[in-house]
Amino acid sequence: MENMTLLDFARGPGLQWALWIFCLGVVWRIVGAMYLLGNKDLSKARRTNYIRSGLRAILTRSTPAEAFEEKIRFQHISGYAWHLALFVSVLFFAPHILFFESILGFSWPHLPNTIILFSGAVATALLIALLIRRATHPVQRLISTADDYISIAVVLLPLITGLAAFAHIGLRYETMLALHLLSVELMLIWYPFSKLMHAFMTFPARYQTGTFFGHRGIKA
Amino acid sequence: MNSQTTRALEMEAALEQIEPTIERKGLSDDERVERAKQAFLRKLDGRKAVDLDTCIHCGMCAEACPFYLTTQNEKYAPVHKYRLLRRLYRRRLSPMRWLYKPFTPDITIDDLREWRHYVFDACTGCARCDMICPMGVNVSSLIRIVREGIGAADLMPPRLQRLKNEQRDKNSIVGVDGEYLRNVVATLNDQGADIPLDKDGADTMLLTTVTELRLFPTALAANAKILNKIGANWTMYTDAFEAANLGYVAGDTKALRTATARIVEKAREQGIKTVVVGETGHGYQTLRWLGANTMGERLPFDVYSILEVVAQAQADGRLELKQQANGSSVSYQDPCRLSRKGGILEQPRRILESMGYEIRETEVHGREDYCCGGGCGEYVLSTGSKLRHKVFDLKRHQFEDAGADEVVTACASCRYNLLIGAEKVEWDTPITSLVETVAAHMAD
Amino acid sequence: MRKDQNLGEYLRSQGVSRRGFLKFCSATASLMALPPSAVAQVAEALAAARRPSVIWLSFQECTGCTESLTRSHSPTVESLIFDAISLDYHHTLQAAAGHGAEAAREAAQEENKGEYILVVDGSIPVDNPAYSTIAGISNLDMLKDSAKDCFAIVSVGTCAAFGGLPGAAPNPTGAVAVSDIITDKPIINVSGCPPIPVVITGVLAHFLTFGTIPELDALGRPTAFFGQNIHDRCYRRPFYERGEFAETFDDEGARKGWCLYKLGCKGPITYNACATVKWNQGMGFPIQAGHGCIACSEPRFWDKGGFYDALSTGDWGTREALLGAAGAGAALGVASAIRARSRKKKAMAEEEA
Repeated sequence: MENMTLLDFARGPGLQWALWIFCLGVVWRIVGAMYLLGNKDLSKARRTNYIRSGLRAILTRSTPAEAFEEKIRFQHISGYAWHLALFVSVLFFAPHILFFESILGFSWPHLPNTIILFSGAVATALLIALLIRRATHPVQRLISTADDYISIAVVLLPLITGLAAFAHIGLRYETMLALHLLSVELMLIWYPFSKLMHAFMTFPARYQTGTFFGHRGIKA
Repeated sequence: MNSQTTRALEMEAALEQIEPTIERKGLSDDERVERAKQAFLRKLDGRKAVDLDTCIHCGMCAEACPFYLTTQNEKYAPVHKYRLLRRLYRRRLSPMRWLYKPFTPDITIDDLREWRHYVFDACTGCARCDMICPMGVNVSSLIRIVREGIGAADLMPPRLQRLKNEQRDKNSIVGVDGEYLRNVVATLNDQGADIPLDKDGADTMLLTTVTELRLFPTALAANAKILNKIGANWTMYTDAFEAANLGYVAGDTKALRTATARIVEKAREQGIKTVVVGETGHGYQTLRWLGANTMGERLPFDVYSILEVVAQAQADGRLELKQQANGSSVSYQDPCRLSRKGGILEQPRRILESMGYEIRETEVHGREDYCCGGGCGEYVLSTGSKLRHKVFDLKRHQFEDAGADEVVTACASCRYNLLIGAEKVEWDTPITSLVETVAAHMAD
Repeated sequence: MRKDQNLGEYLRSQGVSRRGFLKFCSATASLMALPPSAVAQVAEALAAARRPSVIWLSFQECTGCTESLTRSHSPTVESLIFDAISLDYHHTLQAAAGHGAEAAREAAQEENKGEYILVVDGSIPVDNPAYSTIAGISNLDMLKDSAKDCFAIVSVGTCAAFGGLPGAAPNPTGAVAVSDIITDKPIINVSGCPPIPVVITGVLAHFLTFGTIPELDALGRPTAFFGQNIHDRCYRRPFYERGEFAETFDDEGARKGWCLYKLGCKGPITYNACATVKWNQGMGFPIQAGHGCIACSEPRFWDKGGFYDALSTGDWGTREALLGAAGAGAALGVASAIRARSRKKKAMAEEEA
C-alpha cells in the first residue's frame, strides 16, 4: 500500500504475517516431532498410573531435587527471576493487555507502569547476565549453538525497544513503537524454528520422562 | 588384603591381557558413518524428538554427571555427549530439517572416534542427568543411542568389542562358560551349598554374572541359600546363566539380542515362569526393562532381582532374618540400574533395617546417588581407568562423610569397582554384598 | 484594507492597540520557538509587512479548514492577520463568481508572479480529473497552473497535506496530496482535520516576518507547531504512568479525568500543538473534553484502525486465518513425520537384512 508508514506496516501486514508464520510453524514443529511416534514399551510396568507419573514430573521438575540445588543455584534462581520478570512485563503492562484482549477477547488487571518498568529492566539485565554466562562458562560455551545466541538477541530486542519506547528514549515514539512491534514480530517468526519452542515442548518432555520412569517405579 | 580383593586384582590383570583388537577391517570410514547414522535413525522416535527439541542448552546436566564433576572437563557434559544424535535429528528427521540441514554439520568418522571417548570412557549411563534436567529431558537415553551408533559402526573400545564377540559367538565371557559354572557350583556344593544345575521341571531360573562367578562365588551361594529357604523350585542352566550382556555394554544391539534371546529361549523351552537375577545392575536392566523390547514381544516370564525376591519373601513371612547387626552402621551404594533406572530403592533399605543395621545415607543417595564410576563396561576399559578412579574418590568422600562401618551394595560390578578403587588408595572400609549379608542373617 | 497599507497601519485603523499587537507577536514568537528577544523583531517585521497576495484553492475538501479559521471568535488578532493578507482568490469567501472569479485568480497570478503564496485545502483526484472541477477546470490543472509562479505552497489541512479523508481506503477518486503533484516548489504542510487556526496564521506570520520557509519536519510540517508529541504534553500523562485508565466514556475513571489510552487515544503517535495552544481561544482540546486524540494531523489517520481501538492493538487478521495457518502447520507436520518415518523404516529394514 502506498504511503504506508513503518508503524502501519508493523500494526497491520507485519503483525498478520508474523502471527501466521508463528501458528503455522509451532503446529508444524509439534506435530512433526510427536507424529514420529514412539515404540511402545513392552516391558511389564511396575506402576501403571502413567498420568499421575507424568503430571508429577511436570510439577516436580519446576524445582531441582535437593541433591542438586546447591550446584545449580545461580541458574535456578536467575532462570526463575528472568522468566518471572519477562512475564510480568509482557502480561501485566496495560497496553500489552489491550493487545492480547484484541486477539483473545478477554482481559485481566494490569500493574502500574513503574512496576512494569522495573521488571522490564530486571528482565533485560538478567538476560544479558545469562548471555554473558553462556559466552563464558566452559560448558555452556561449548554446547551453545547459533540458535542459542540468536534466540537471546531476538528476545532482547523487544525488551530494549519496548523500554526505549516506554521511556521515550532515542527515536520518536511512533518509530520506537514500530520497531518494538517489528522486533516482536521477528521473535514470532523466529520462534517456531528455534529453541524458543521449549515453551511448548517442556511440559510434554517432562510428562514423558515422568511416565518413562513411572513405568519402572521411580518418581522422576 | 582379603581374598576378594586378590581375586579382583586378578580379574583386572586378566582384563588387561585382552589384546586391544584393531578396529574391524573391511569397513570403510563411510560405511561406519552410515551405519552409525542408521542406528541413530532406528532409535529416534517421537519421544526423542521432543527431548531433542526441548533441550535449551542450559548445561545443568553437567552438574549431575560424576565424570564432569570430578574432572570439570566441559566435554563430559551429558548434553555434549549426545550432540551427534542432535545433528542427525536436525538433518534427517526434524520437521524443520529443510531449514537446519545447511547449518548443521554432518557426522564424520572423526566425530565418531572423538565421541567414543565421551560415551564409553566418560559415561556409565548412570542417568543422574535425567534427574536434574529442568526440562525433563531423558538425557541418558539420548547418550545411549550415541553409544549404539558408535557400536553399530564397530568403533566401540576394542576390549568391549572382543568381549561382546566372545559372548555372542562362544556364550562365554573372559572364559567363563558353562564348564566354568559347573566347576564353581561343584566347589560351592562341596562346601554345603545346594545349587541345582540343568534341572528339569523347575519354574524358576537364576541368573548370575561373570563377575560374581570369578570374584564373588559366595554371593552365588547366598542366592542359592535364599531360594532354597523360600522353597523355590529353581535351577541354573549351564547354557543360559549369564545375566551380563556385553552387547548392551558395547552398544551392539545385535549382540545384545543374541544374549537376551539365549535366556528367553531357554526359559520358554523349560517352561520357566520366573527369572531371578542375582546381584547385577545392567543384567537386571537388560532383561527386566529392555528384554521384551529387544525381543519385540512380551516375555513369557516375570523378571525379579534377588532383592525383590528377598523383600517379597520377608513380607509374606517365608523368610525371617535375625536382628544380629546390633546397630552397626552401613551405607548402601545404590547401583544405578537397580535404583535410579530400576525402581528398587526401598527394598534394600528395608532389608538392611530388618537385620538391625543403622543406615547412614550418603549426602546424595537413592534416586540421586553417585555412580560407582565403573558401570556399563567402564570398569573393563583401560582408557577409562583414570576417570573411574576419580569418580571413586567422589564416592569415597561420600562414604567417609556418612561414616558408616561398612558399605553394602547389590551389584557385582559396583562391588568390583569399589574394591579396586579402595585397593588403589588403601581405603579399608569393608565393601560387602547385600545378599551375602542376608544369607548370613538367615535363621536356620 | 488598501493594498499599499502596511500591516501595522491596517491594524491600528481597525482599532487594535499596540499592546494587543505585541501580545500577539510574543505569542507567535513563542509558538515559533523564538527567543523572547525576537519579539521586537517580529513586531517590527509584522508592522512593516506589505500585504502579500494569497491565492486559496479548495479542492476535494469539506470547507472545515476554512470554517476553522472563520469561525474563530472575532475580532481576534489572528483573524485580523488573516484579513490582512490580500486574499485574491478563495471561492468560498470571495464575492465574485464564475468566470469573473477565475479571471481574478489569473490576474493575481500574473500581477504577483513568483511572489504570491498558494494555499491549498483539499486533495486532488487523479483517477479521473472530472471528479472535481471548478469552472470546468480540473483540480489537477488548476493546481499546476497556480503553482507554476507561486513563491511557496501552504497545504492547509490533512487532505491537502497527506490526502486525508478522500484518500482513505479504498480511495475511490485516487486522491493525492499537493506534494504528490508539485515537486519544484517549497511546500509547507499545515495538517490537521482541521488545523488549529493559530497555526495557520502563525505560518503566515512567519512569512510576513522573515519572508522565508519555516523549519519543517520530515512530513513537511513546521516544527514550531508540529515538533511536540501530544502524549508528552498531555495533562493526563501522570495517570498513564500510574496505570490509571478510563475504561469507558462514563465510568469513574472518565469522570476523574484519567488517561484515555484504553479508549483509543492516539496521542502518543500524534504531533501537533493541541495540548499546548489548544482550541477555541485556549478553552481546551479533545482530550480535555474527554475524547482521545484521533491523530488527525498524521498521514492516513483514517486508516490506522478504529478511533476507539487502543494504540497497542493491531490488525492481527482473523481467527479463521490463524486457524488456517495452524491447520496448514498440522498438515506439514504430518507430511514431514511420515517422510521421516519412512527413512526410519528403511534403516530398520537394513538392520534386519
